[in-house]
Amino acid sequence: MGRELREVVYVDGVRTAFGRAGPKGVFWRTRADDLGVKVVRELLRRNPGLPPERIDDVVMAATAQVGDQGLTLGRDVALLAGLPSTVPGFAVDRMCAGALTAVTAGAGEIAMGAADVVLAGGIEHMGHHPMGEDVDFNPRFVAERLVDPSAVTMGATAENLHDRFPHLTKHDADAFAVRSQHRAAEAWQNGVMREAVVPMSVFTDEGWRAADRDEFLRPDTSMEGLADLPTPFRPGGRVTAGNSAGLTDGAAVCLLASEDAAADLGLAPRMRLVSYAFAGVEPELMGLGPVPATRKALELAGLSLDDIGLFELNEPFAVQVLTWCDGLEVDPEDERLNPYGGAIACGHPLAATGVRLLAQLAYGFRERTSVRYGLTALCVGMGMGAALIWESLPAGH
Amino acid sequence: MRDSSRVALVTIDNGEDYTKPTFFGRAALESLERLLPRLEGDDWAALVITGKPFVFAAGADITQFRGATRELAVEGSHAGHELFGRIRALPFPTVAAINGACLGGGVELALHCDARTISTAVRHFACPECFLGILPAWGGTQLIPPLVGIENAVKFVVTNPMRQNRMLTGPQAFELGFAERLLEPAEFVDESLAFALGLVPNSDSHRDSYRDSHSVAEVIRKARARLDDQVHGAAPAPYRALELIEGACSGWTVEEGYRAEEEAVGKLLPGRQAQASLYAFDLVERRAKNPPGRPSAEPKPIRKVGIVGAGLMAAQIAALVLRRLEVPIAIRDVSDDALAAARESIEEALAEQVAKGRYDEGKARFLGSIVTTSTTYDDFADCDLVLEAVFEELETKQQVFAELREHTRGDSVLATNTSSLSVAEMGADVGFHFFNPVAVLPLVELVRTAETDDATLATAWAFAEKLRKRPVLVADAPAFVVNRVLTRQLTVILDALEHGNTIEEADEAILRLGMPMAPSVLLQMVGPRVANHVLETLHDAYPDRYPLFQTLADYAEGGDEIVVQEHAPRTQDEILESALEAVADEIRHLLEEGVVAEAADVDTALILGAGWPFWLGGITKFLDQTGRSERMFGRELADIGPAAKTA
Repeated sequence: MGRELREVVYVDGVRTAFGRAGPKGVFWRTRADDLGVKVVRELLRRNPGLPPERIDDVVMAATAQVGDQGLTLGRDVALLAGLPSTVPGFAVDRMCAGALTAVTAGAGEIAMGAADVVLAGGIEHMGHHPMGEDVDFNPRFVAERLVDPSAVTMGATAENLHDRFPHLTKHDADAFAVRSQHRAAEAWQNGVMREAVVPMSVFTDEGWRAADRDEFLRPDTSMEGLADLPTPFRPGGRVTAGNSAGLTDGAAVCLLASEDAAADLGLAPRMRLVSYAFAGVEPELMGLGPVPATRKALELAGLSLDDIGLFELNEPFAVQVLTWCDGLEVDPEDERLNPYGGAIACGHPLAATGVRLLAQLAYGFRERTSVRYGLTALCVGMGMGAALIWESLPAGH
Repeated sequence: MRDSSRVALVTIDNGEDYTKPTFFGRAALESLERLLPRLEGDDWAALVITGKPFVFAAGADITQFRGATRELAVEGSHAGHELFGRIRALPFPTVAAINGACLGGGVELALHCDARTISTAVRHFACPECFLGILPAWGGTQLIPPLVGIENAVKFVVTNPMRQNRMLTGPQAFELGFAERLLEPAEFVDESLAFALGLVPNSDSHRDSYRDSHSVAEVIRKARARLDDQVHGAAPAPYRALELIEGACSGWTVEEGYRAEEEAVGKLLPGRQAQASLYAFDLVERRAKNPPGRPSAEPKPIRKVGIVGAGLMAAQIAALVLRRLEVPIAIRDVSDDALAAARESIEEALAEQVAKGRYDEGKARFLGSIVTTSTTYDDFADCDLVLEAVFEELETKQQVFAELREHTRGDSVLATNTSSLSVAEMGADVGFHFFNPVAVLPLVELVRTAETDDATLATAWAFAEKLRKRPVLVADAPAFVVNRVLTRQLTVILDALEHGNTIEEADEAILRLGMPMAPSVLLQMVGPRVANHVLETLHDAYPDRYPLFQTLADYAEGGDEIVVQEHAPRTQDEILESALEAVADEIRHLLEEGVVAEAADVDTALILGAGWPFWLGGITKFLDQTGRSERMFGRELADIGPAAKTA
């Protein structure tokens, strides 16, 4: 029986504000799954043409799949959000690429014809679930020198990148961080964050308050201010709290559909998934992952880097983005790169970040009608990279 | 308080988790007083007031009400009027977002806002004040009628509290008009904020009063008549509440209404009935959470229950055990017919649960299948607890327990259900006295004998609580507490009848206390045979205080003639007084014998097992308050008994 793959489109995406992990953060007394409920309900509210029973699957990523992120998160959130019990769901984990993997898994279901409409996203409450909590590392990793012990500490892998690429200096990293903060500050002034971020009332020690702004934003960041910050991962090192993303709580979800279903339901698709790729690298240099992933995705799409008009890259560490720029020969000052700032300014709730990149890319496409293709990419712990290439679908498509 | 797009979002929060609801005490009012200038002094788009998760506000802190003076009551009421009135006067839209339990003062705070949203998850929305012998005195009686109409107002403020403190759910409150929006809980605060921002400032949302004087008078007259039937004038609070509602509908200004509430609560709160009600509320709500006498021993798990007997009571108990424990049940009776009837009534009870939507038919079918009936004890070998509920005859029960010892494991708890017989004499490990109808009345008298060990008692206690009953621990004394007190009262009634008083006179004498049921009606409900049997048991134990009556003996055999011994009728006052003295005297005996630890146990039992009213505080509070105890015994009943505080 012959059959053809179906085109997968991105319709809409939304995230919570990103909060500082820990007792001082705005989400400290909010459950992780409730963050997911909020974004799912907001997505449905914004797309009233979508009957909830037409959702064929809810894919939710989380790195820590225990506690308030346990219980097969996609299904748990679907039920809590009030979706009909006929809508299934599941959970995925690829650490920082959780949401992007949720998207590619959902896209796979749609392309295969198993689903018409999928919600895909991720949640990470790093305050409730510190990285590496409850992880039992196999002693073989160290005993057999399968990986360098630094591979499990993300900040240490960032220091390793500086070692490997000595021309990428702390000064470069700090400069990139300043740029990220300034661009994010501008983005909060224009419409992108109003579109991508849904305010949420959350209960805190001071009563109910609105979580409506990313808590890591520091619009007045300067080179001088960053110069003398401590380097927690290595004495005399280069990675500081100022040039890396803080530990973050947040959730994000997007609406994917087959091209035909979107048309049937009257949904306005914003982007078409062109290709995607995951790649592996040495775990202790995990930040390099997006380089081979990007190359592979471009090759699958039959495109060259010059065809890409927008790059939405995660910024766990400034040096990580710089190595990608180095590898792909993109100037870190390039206007195509992270026009609305990145995780250094807004935070990085591991498994949720991918959908933030998608939502910002979709907004970027709308602001730049001449741009046809865009890239979303990020690196993944234990040495991986993820890259998705999207095509802009102008309004009225 | 937080500024979000110029909406002031205020949280009512005592800083504790959801298991400790927020109440309005002095501290809460002071906090509101500090907050108000920030609201009044700024140009907000709207105000939204909500509670911490699961609780909006559970009303005034009634622990501050015990022993309150008139001045304190008036001052407390006035302070609420003052502060809530300032919320009502705010120039921008105000919304109460009722996210959880909302009682009394919580409701009244919400009423002072322009509009209300309420969550579908709210389980408790009520003004329970009349239940406690007071009335809503932070504007409730004045603001509720214009909002929901006089009939709903009467029902909410008077009828529901007087009907075992019935409460509304969120959807019910919305249906009656208490809230403008019914919202799902998932994004309740967000959606309430959006609703508040959509309200037009300075719209005339304070509705005009209800002024159809004819129908007002009619509704109030009917409500008063229903109250008379129910409480016979014995509880003043609901009558005063009706007057205030009537006033609100007759054109009082809100200020006039406030003053009337202050005056009313100033009289009611220090009064006998309110103070007794607060005492009673404390007994059944707070004291019961850490009940005196519960052993610390670990209860044994109950995975199968045996029931001996298949009569009416036994079948009721079996249905209850099945519903609450969902464990296999073996029922044994000598009569196949009785067993068939018991099975039928259990099936009916299951069908009722299905009809109520508690479980589906498959589950009901399963539960029916784990009940076995037999004329033998073959299914009893693996029972963890056996409850005997055969006819109230000592020899029969002794025989049952002798048989049970042979057919059960050595460690299974063998319990009797008896209303008056000695648990030890019949050979049971422990006794339960359930009250009829079993599914309705919350009390169980839990009878400890000299032989009952802690583990057995703990298991029996846990069993009773799993049945959602409220155990009161009693000693193995004839007729325990409730029947002993009721029967002593009955002797006074029977004595009056045999001296020429009519049944109506005797009934009316007792009803004047506001008892839930006339003695003659109660006697019919209990059944004259059972009543006479209990009287005989008590007569054997205490012949001086429990004489036998020919009239009751005849009635038990189907006769309905009153045997007048001597024509010397007494006034209703005299009958009531001797009934009260007899009850007081019997309770003193109970306490001195140590049947229960203290008077509070007697009151708990009478409230939960006989429905005696809160405003009498069961009964000992009333006897102490009115000086009868002092006059009769030289001290209060509260000071008698093994656990009483020493005078």
